[in-house]
Amino acid sequence: MTEYVIEANGLAKSYGDFQALKPTSFKVPLGRILGVIGENGAGKTTMLNAVLGLMSYEGNLSVMGNDPSKERGKLMQDVCFIADVATLPKWMKVSEVLDYVEGVHARFDRPKAMSFLNRTKVPLDRKVRALSKGMTVQLHLAVVMAIDAKLLVLDEPTLGLDIIFRKQFYASLLEEYFDEDRTVIITTHQVEEIEHILSDVMFIKDGEVVLEADMDELTQQFIELMVSPGNEEEAAKLNPISKGTTFGKTTCIYKNIDREELAKLGETRRLGLADIFVATMTGEGQ
Amino acid sequence: MNTYLALVKREILDGKNGYIRVPLILSGLALAMVFLSSVGIGELNLVRDIDHDQVHNIGDALNLAQQEEPADLPAAVTAGYWVMSALMWVAFPFVIFFSLLGSLYEERRDRSILFWKSMPVDDWQEVAAKLFTTVLVTPVIFFGVAIAAQLTSAVLLSVVVLFQGGPVSALWPLGLMISSWFSMFGHYVIWALWALPVLAWVLFVSAYASRLPFMWAILTPVIIILAELMFFDTHVFAEWLGRQLGGWQEWAFHDLGQGRHIDGPREALNMVFGAAQWEALKFSLTSMRFWSGLVVAGGFVYGAIELRKRGT
Repeated sequence: MTEYVIEANGLAKSYGDFQALKPTSFKVPLGRILGVIGENGAGKTTMLNAVLGLMSYEGNLSVMGNDPSKERGKLMQDVCFIADVATLPKWMKVSEVLDYVEGVHARFDRPKAMSFLNRTKVPLDRKVRALSKGMTVQLHLAVVMAIDAKLLVLDEPTLGLDIIFRKQFYASLLEEYFDEDRTVIITTHQVEEIEHILSDVMFIKDGEVVLEADMDELTQQFIELMVSPGNEEEAAKLNPISKGTTFGKTTCIYKNIDREELAKLGETRRLGLADIFVATMTGEGQ
Repeated sequence: MNTYLALVKREILDGKNGYIRVPLILSGLALAMVFLSSVGIGELNLVRDIDHDQVHNIGDALNLAQQEEPADLPAAVTAGYWVMSALMWVAFPFVIFFSLLGSLYEERRDRSILFWKSMPVDDWQEVAAKLFTTVLVTPVIFFGVAIAAQLTSAVLLSVVVLFQGGPVSALWPLGLMISSWFSMFGHYVIWALWALPVLAWVLFVSAYASRLPFMWAILTPVIIILAELMFFDTHVFAEWLGRQLGGWQEWAFHDLGQGRHIDGPREALNMVFGAAQWEALKFSLTSMRFWSGLVVAGGFVYGAIELRKRGT
């Protein structure tokens, strides 16, 4: 039997007339890395806030058997998150942040946090206020990766970090943190950087979950065809979901069309997640 | 238990300017004044006017007092030490007020609430830790500093008096001093319980106000008082406020001084440091107003917890 970390049934949230999240149902199993992708204001943070017990909601939601809106304190034994804004207390020293987490969190492994921090230039006796933006994020990531949680939610975790650190972070998330007993949920704008580590993906648009899929299946569904000259008409007959031109050649994107068949008309290649996202969001992919 | 220690430690770190630096600086200032004036006391007009030819310094004054009022001297000295540490107690209500006012407001302003909420600590634990630290740990620190300051003044004065040739032992009424520490703290606890609805109101505002918490905390009661005066020409609310913030003592000690002739600092001190706490406790525990105040306090604390659950 699959163990689910999150089970949502008709989960919704509205502020007055505005529906930030339309009724949606989904399940997230254990041992996955789920990318939640959507434009700004699409409802990603709203959905995650509900899962994290940061706000009230309509519908049914169970996170590891708990109702997050009622049992946030208990839930946080097994769940950890980084919100999309810098939240570490600026008046605290780095070492005091570690002291505090050690004091309140039974599953915090301080030596592990130190080993992450030792790879960075974050000084322990400095106040968070005095750290650069990058160092603040490094500190926060070191803290959460040293917590033995079942569910880790990262909302735009690498915002403002340089490319080298971002690569390192995702590498160590995959190699040193992730295993089959944990689930990680990531939202980010830099889709290209995370698509190779994702096992599942969810697209959100205007408060609605428009796509929920296994990463491997999804990338097999979408095929881009660079049409060989003369085959344009035939390519158009197969109902491409979008059409364009690159280097004077026609390119078409297809969903659920046999790859063999397309290969006769030209060069085929798999579509990146970002392109799939764009194709889906523009409405033609559905 | 570990969680509570970590929470209280965090609160103290967060408020260390008010909780630790303010009493230290103010009592340091008071100590400097005590020391300077004790060295130069022979020159003070005040003492000259007392018209004792043989009093030239603090040592002489102590000698004289010991001869003439031996029974009252220890009490006078003890009371004197409290007067010397009075300066820091002026700051105390401000420290309490502003700590409570910022306790649930600042974390939302700087978004650190999202970090606190990512930890396995319930909202009620957070609110309780904030209230507990401000209302009980802060005074413990203040009392600690006051006690250290009293002992330091005693040492400083002893040195001065030693050189001036006075009775050093008269400066160390330790038994009285220690019992005064306990009874003053006991009195504070009763005061704080009476004031709890007001303190909890400030905590509630801190959780509620999206901005300008100071205005919310102060203007709301002012407007209620003015509105009551305008529409009903009464001042029930103002009286209630005054009573909870210390006015209750007028009733509590109503019988204490009556029909009694207070003769000298010893009896006054005995009364303040001895009987008064029991009177206050007895009065409070049998007062409906005391208990209804606690119920109001409970309401505000509950509100603060509910608001923190929703806050991001």
